[in-house]
This record gives sequence, C-alpha cells and structure tokens, in this order.
Amino acid sequence: MKKCKCKLGKLLLKLVGGLLVANVALFLVFFFDLDGKLLFYVGEPFLKKHYDNMDRKDTLKAPYDVDKYPSYEY
Amino acid sequence: MAKKIKNKEELKKLAKDFWYGKPHGERRLGELYIDKTGLYKHREWRGVSDTLYYFYNVWLYNYGMMVYDLIRYGGLVNFAKGVWRYRWVGQTYLTVMHWFDRGMEGMRGEVLRAAPWHYRGMVSETIRQFQHMFAADANLHGGKHNDAWHHTMAHNETVWGGIFYPWRDKFENVAMEMIPYFVTCHVNSHTVQNYIDAVQSIGLPGDPCPMCQAEAGLFVLDDMPDYSPFVITSNEACDASVSTSILQDWFLDKPLFAMPQPMQFDDPLVHKHCMKEIEECWKFIEEQTGVPFNWELLKKHLEQQNELQEFEHEKWEVAAKTNSYPINGVAQALYRIYYSQDGDHEIWHHCDKKVRKVLERCVRNKTNTFPNTRHRVIAWSCAPLFFSNWPTWAYNCWGLNVIINMDSLMFDMTIRTDSYEHALEDMATYHMWAPMRRMAVGGMHHIFELWENMEKFNCDFVMMYDQLQCKGMQGVHGLFEDEFRDRNIHAIWMPHALPDSRTVTRAEIRRIVNDYMTTVMHEEPLDPSLLDFDDSMGW
Repeated sequence: MKKCKCKLGKLLLKLVGGLLVANVALFLVFFFDLDGKLLFYVGEPFLKKHYDNMDRKDTLKAPYDVDKYPSYEY
Repeated sequence: MAKKIKNKEELKKLAKDFWYGKPHGERRLGELYIDKTGLYKHREWRGVSDTLYYFYNVWLYNYGMMVYDLIRYGGLVNFAKGVWRYRWVGQTYLTVMHWFDRGMEGMRGEVLRAAPWHYRGMVSETIRQFQHMFAADANLHGGKHNDAWHHTMAHNETVWGGIFYPWRDKFENVAMEMIPYFVTCHVNSHTVQNYIDAVQSIGLPGDPCPMCQAEAGLFVLDDMPDYSPFVITSNEACDASVSTSILQDWFLDKPLFAMPQPMQFDDPLVHKHCMKEIEECWKFIEEQTGVPFNWELLKKHLEQQNELQEFEHEKWEVAAKTNSYPINGVAQALYRIYYSQDGDHEIWHHCDKKVRKVLERCVRNKTNTFPNTRHRVIAWSCAPLFFSNWPTWAYNCWGLNVIINMDSLMFDMTIRTDSYEHALEDMATYHMWAPMRRMAVGGMHHIFELWENMEKFNCDFVMMYDQLQCKGMQGVHGLFEDEFRDRNIHAIWMPHALPDSRTVTRAEIRRIVNDYMTTVMHEEPLDPSLLDFDDSMGW
C-alpha cells in the first residue's frame, strides 16, 4: 500500500513537473514571439515559394458561353 | 547615501512596473519591434496579471481553440489539403495570433478581457467557413462533387447571409470572398497583392476599386474552391463589382442569379423592386436545390439575429454615454461588420455572452477603460483593411480613442418577424443597406448621418477615410471639407487604397496623423516611440 502511494506520488510529481516545464517553454515561445518569428522567417517564405511555383489552370482559356444557362427570371 | 536611496527608489519603481506594467507614457511600445518586420523582439510586458491573462486566456487559449475548430469543422487533413492548395489560407491564416497582437497592443485590464472575444468569434467563424469550403471542394477531391458540394450555396460576400436562413437546416451558405479576400487583408496584408496584380496582368485597368480587383483576381489565379453547384451575386459596392461578377460568371460556369442592390434606395418603388428580387432569389434557390422555402427557419434565425442587434444597441449605449466601454476601435469595427454581413451563427452569441459579463462589470464599477483618452473619435467611410488596427496605434500614440465607426452603424435595424410581409420589407432594407452602400455611396442624406452620430456618441474628432479608388466617395470630398469647416470639426483625412498597402503605406498614414496632431492640435505624443517606425514588411 505504502509502495503504491509512493508510486502515485512520484507520478503526480512528474506530471506537475512536466506541466511546469511545458508552461515555461510555452511562455518563452509567447514572450519572445518565437511563433511569429518561425512563421515569418520559415513558414511564410516556404509556402510562398510553393504557391509561386504551383501549376495553375489558365482560366482565361475557358470559353465564356453566356447563353449556357437560362436567365432565371421569375 | 543619496545613491543608495536612488537605487532603492529605482528598485521600487522596477518592482512596480513588473507587477502593474509601465504607465502609458513610459511604455515605448515602438521599441519592441524588429525593424521592418513588425515582429516583436519580445511581446509586451503588461504587468503580471495582464501578461498572464494575455498568455493563457488569449494566446494559448486561441491557439488551442483554433485546433479545436479545425478538428470539429472538417479535420486537420482537410485543412492541410486546403493550405497546400490555396495561397489565401496558407499565407494568411497561420499568422493569425499576430493579428491579435496588433489589435491588442497596449491594452490593459477590462479591454484585454473583452476585445479579444471579438477576435475569437471572427477566427472561429472564419475557420468554419474555409473548412466547409474545403470539405465540399471538388478541386481537393479529384473533381468529385460530394454530398457537401451539393449542400452548399455560394454567394458574393456582399450578399447578406440572412438571405439563406430558410435553408439553414439542410444547406450551408459560404461567401466566395469573405475568407479568401476580406479577412486576409486584415491578417496578412501581403496575400491580397497577388490577386490585385493577377487581374491587372490580364489587361484590366488598375484604377477601379481594388476590392473588386482582388475578388476577380482570385478567379484569374484559379484560387477559388469549387464548392457549390450554383452562385448568387450582387453589384456591391459599385459598378466595379459588376465587372467582378461578369468574370466570376465566366470562370465559375455555373447557374448564377444576380441580385444587385439599388444605389438610390430611399425610393419606395425601388424598395418594392428589391423585395421582389429577394423573392426571385428564393425561387432560384428552390429550383436549384429542390428544397422549399421554410418560413419558420427564416423567422427563427432573424429573431436570433435581432438578439445580436439588441446587444449591439446596449453596447452603443455604454460607448456613447460612459467612459466604461471595454471594446477598442478595431475589435468594434471588424466584429460588427463581420457578423452583420455573415448572419446569425452560434459563435456570435457565445462571444456576446462573454463580452456582456465584462461590459456589465465595467458599468457597475464605473471603470474608465481608456484612461488616456484625449479625443473621442468617430471613424467614417471605408477603412484601410491593411491597417485596421490603426485605432490601437492612435490610442497608444496620441490618446485618440475610436468610439464608433461607420461600418458598425450601417445595419442598425431590428427585422420584424410578425408576418412574412414585414420580414421581407425589412430584409430588403437590410439588403440595400449593404456594406459601403448606405453611408458611403448611398446618397447625401446617409453619408451625412455622420453629424448626428458624432453627437450621439459624444465624439469631438473625425477620422475621415479617403479611399482613393472609390469614385463614389471621391465625389463628395469637397462637400465634407466645407461641412467640417462650417461646423468647426477637427477631422483628419486618411488616404488609402482599401486592401492595397502599396498605394499609401501604414507609415504614411501614421505620418499624416502625426502631422495633424502636432501642427494643428499642438499636442505631444503619449508614446513618442510610436511616431515613426518601419513595418513595411510586416503582416
């Protein structure tokens, strides 16, 4: 019983410790704007490069058939 | 001994600043920026209580809720596919917490507890809409038209969401441009430039409204999800938008119902015409979906929307008559135009409930929410979307407190639901009082509603937006000049090109405000570090 309690106590301690470390780490990310810096210097340039090089349909080549659908007058 | 005392005093001051945050005049917020980027060397220390509140209840909470919203509205795979396919989502919405930061800079106490709820509402509704687009999108599903595609209605962002209430139990309605265009400009002002340039690259002129250009540019770049079997368009805000609709008709190649809003809408005959058009639109939807119009559903959602309007009236009452309004200018403006155009959704009620608690507490305690207010400002006409957080800057730098703005006041009406005829009559009015219509290009009577609202909200200063590519508002520039002179009103003209931050930059806008405040008002800045800084590459 005593051993069990001790194990539980250790687990709780680890959990609290883990939460504390996660909190401090997240606060550092928040305070030093690390999320913003990551997105600005890494995320956005990477995605922009991807979008700039994407194959896109040439929409101008689509025919414009104005009479394809009715005029929907009621 | 004197040095020791000085050190002691310095220590005391340091401890006080750590605990409570620096007082307004000592913050030097401009020194927090990394040159050109708009990023922070570090985020602002607002004192223990407010910093921890912002960290846990705004930053962490909203990151968590965004993930929650992504999962509940279609899942992370759906989102990842959308990010990979569409520039407007990937380049823009990942940076959303910086949008919060820009809006909430320098805010303390109750404002920090109320205003971010408005942002939370907008973020959640944005996620709901783009996730639904992606779930239904044939482009992301190998060209297949799935069940969601068959149960979604597409429309221009200037067609009010209320038009679709009668089908709310079976169909989603998602505006084509609200998320790919309008909201992006506020969150990351760079994204939209791709779409403006795209439309000019096919030979269209560069001088019409850049909103209409950008909305058409989405289609030129094939960046619009294919998420609905049919579409409903309008001519909002002006004739440039009609051109957008023609391009959309071409590129979408779907059954299209055009529901233009009349320019001069005070005429009773025009009103009748508009009522008839709404009914025709409903017939079109019935024909396309095979599902009949449901009056009970319409009534239910109109009544729920009226509840939102009722709370808005309560908020305005506090804003107009007290110094205890806990919403800053940018949160007020964006939230109001977003939900009044988008229509009734659960998230708005949820956020209003949270804000109500703070609002009532502020009134009860007579809290002075913006204690460094020097001037109560009303902002009129259409705002620069790439610098929608200027009221935050203006308060921090000059004590200019934006109490209310034109976009908030446009849809000031309760829609009657006692009979079908009354509801339709009021819905037509609401439809005609569209964004940028009633008080921007809707005739002198409405444009000059500025004066009565200025009095109603106890404002002593006007920030007059000057959308350089809006032919309608350019036409009344001189009339406003005359009126400002005759009425002896302090007004600053703020030039801008709506979404395009290249025509007039944020730095130029700040310079214009600074010049007026120093040369005309002879005032000293509250925070001189904010007078001039380079955020040209900032989101």
